[in-house]
Amino acid sequence: MGWKHRHLLGIQPLSREDIWYLLHKANFFRDSLEEKPKKEGQLNGFFMINLFFEPSTRTRISFEMAAKLLGMEVINFTTEMSSILKGENLRDTVRTLSRLKADVLVIRHSSSGVPQYLSQFLPFHIINAGDGMREHPTQALLDLLTIWRHFGRLSNLKVAIIGDILHSRVARSLTIGLQKMGSEVFFSGAPTLVPPEAEKMGGQIIYPLEKAIQGVDVIYLLRIQQERQKAGFFSSIKEYNHFFSLRKDLWEKAKGQAIIMHPGPVNRGVEVDSELVEGTGSLIEEQVTCGLAVRMAVLDTLIQEGKAGD
Amino acid sequence: MTDSILIKKGTLVLPGRKELVDADLLIREGKIVRIGRGIEDPQAYSLNASGLLVGPGLINLHVHFREPGEEKKEDLFTGARAAARGGFTTVVCMPNTCPPLDNPLFARYIVSRSAEIGLVNILPAGAITVGLKGETMTNFGLLKEEGVVALSDDGKSVGKSRLLYLAFRYANYFDLPFILHEEDENLSPAGEMHEGVTSFEMGYRGIPPAGENSRIARDLVLALYTGARVHLTHLSTDLGVDLIRWFQARIPVSADVTPHHLLLTDQQVKQFGTLAKVNPPLREEKDIQALKLGIREGVINILASDHAPHSLEDKEVDFASAPFGISNLEITLPLLVKSLVEEGVIDWISLWEKLSLNPARFLKLTDRGSLEEGKVADITIVDPDTEWEVEVNQFESKGKNCPFQGWPLRGWPVYTILGGKVVMQEGSLIS
Repeated sequence: MGWKHRHLLGIQPLSREDIWYLLHKANFFRDSLEEKPKKEGQLNGFFMINLFFEPSTRTRISFEMAAKLLGMEVINFTTEMSSILKGENLRDTVRTLSRLKADVLVIRHSSSGVPQYLSQFLPFHIINAGDGMREHPTQALLDLLTIWRHFGRLSNLKVAIIGDILHSRVARSLTIGLQKMGSEVFFSGAPTLVPPEAEKMGGQIIYPLEKAIQGVDVIYLLRIQQERQKAGFFSSIKEYNHFFSLRKDLWEKAKGQAIIMHPGPVNRGVEVDSELVEGTGSLIEEQVTCGLAVRMAVLDTLIQEGKAGD
Repeated sequence: MTDSILIKKGTLVLPGRKELVDADLLIREGKIVRIGRGIEDPQAYSLNASGLLVGPGLINLHVHFREPGEEKKEDLFTGARAAARGGFTTVVCMPNTCPPLDNPLFARYIVSRSAEIGLVNILPAGAITVGLKGETMTNFGLLKEEGVVALSDDGKSVGKSRLLYLAFRYANYFDLPFILHEEDENLSPAGEMHEGVTSFEMGYRGIPPAGENSRIARDLVLALYTGARVHLTHLSTDLGVDLIRWFQARIPVSADVTPHHLLLTDQQVKQFGTLAKVNPPLREEKDIQALKLGIREGVINILASDHAPHSLEDKEVDFASAPFGISNLEITLPLLVKSLVEEGVIDWISLWEKLSLNPARFLKLTDRGSLEEGKVADITIVDPDTEWEVEVNQFESKGKNCPFQGWPLRGWPVYTILGGKVVMQEGSLIS
């Protein structure tokens, strides 16, 4: 069983075996990150372009670091400095980039489906670093790696995803991934942000929040963006925090063996009490390091083995 | 006085069992403890209810008590007195005060002031939108924690459909129902009265039924797709009844009608002037007939006042400048008896059900709304036979803005018992 995909467009196209393949490799890289020097040179001479149409620091830097650890050259392209601002359309921008003969294009865009669209006509490996509200596959993979390393398994776990499910590509990718690995997903939060359709993906909506986190292994909190309040999805940060955040008292009641995860960046005191972020139950910082390892594994796999069509 | 009351020889109205039963009823420590024939309790204060109807305390989903901000029209104290005199033991006060009840602190004030006054349970409705401006949701959860029982932008309808759609879904989490005033103000700019022959004749700007009904249709569609608990208040048109009937086959929507929409038509604006200026406006005879049919069929399962007191100086102006509203809390029951029981539309049991059990169910007040052993002793006793004329100047309410002055009516409340204490006897308040 080898690797069959030319791109990483989402978790949806991956099989359970594909996910295990990436996770095993990522697990090896995660261990190697504790060694000095960390840098491995196997992708020496390959070029990666970071093409970010949405502001991002963490993901972009994580990809850049991952590429460099493998010996790659990295070019960062953000919309602030691009011809997009001069009115060039997306198709022309990326076609021009394609003539630069890079090997990997890492793309983030606010429109769902952009990576799939580009993969139809661009010659290089495309890695989806987040498209609109659809998928964020490297985030889901790093979450799976973090969970696997903590629990020693990815099946028969209960994961409660709390918050803005509606707008979250993280929630979609993670839900798909967890189900492929044989775990259960629960959703909760403000009902305006937890669409009933989410259950069609296989998760289960549970209200109130207290009940949703009872007895779970992972409490996965999503970032709540201020724009959602302005758009009328909930009334105020104060009310959101009172009813829909992981407060210390809820955590004390729910915790058992549970861990807290969050894709970052965290709004302290909004979706989670500040002191829980760095508390003993939190794996939020470990997620960041696992992210680096996962992106190394993805780059290594696509470049070394991603020859076939997707 | 002892804390026990024995109501002897009354006719008990049992809306849950759809029965009238001649029996005694014993109250002890604020609860109904026994119902049966020939109860004796020498310790108890004995109340002879021979010839009277004894039923669960009346519950009113729609009153305006004007506090804070417009205390010259009404305040919580005078409003509570009017409620007790009208036989009501629970009222829901609308949030269109100055400032509007969009803040948990105001809700807490109303709940604590209500307890202090001790004449009626005043339950606050909270605003759907901040400042009733139709722009952003209020803190539904925090409002509920301070005693808000329902949400309403009464006096207006929420214009932005998406906002209401999200509010409907958001409120589900807190199990808060909506009491909706339905009016598309786009269709009635500066409207003064029902758009029809009379408005044309008198030269008053119209408020077309289309404005009310298009909003009813929209809101019921939104409720259908969101699962919100929705109650349409002060229904006034024939099409409104049909719309609700259609939706009731699909979702549990409820509705109420006020006494004035059952007794007066737009033509009576000529006679009563600004005293008959009310929103929704008085409609036409065909609307009254449709409303009565809806009441008989149970499509309209609740009756309410929309008690809207104003000072006379506010009403004694030209028609366009006058505020909307009728003060009717003390005569709501006799007016409904006249329009519904005496007209043979429904019987006493059904009338009482729409004034106690059904609103209690809507508000999920499980310990109220019926006469059963163990329930809170909120009880209203009514004299069904004696006729009295409406005397507006004797209203406890500050609002004397009432077109029913001098009307001879039957079905007056003669005792109001709140939590086992007599608060009104023979029209007089006991403090």
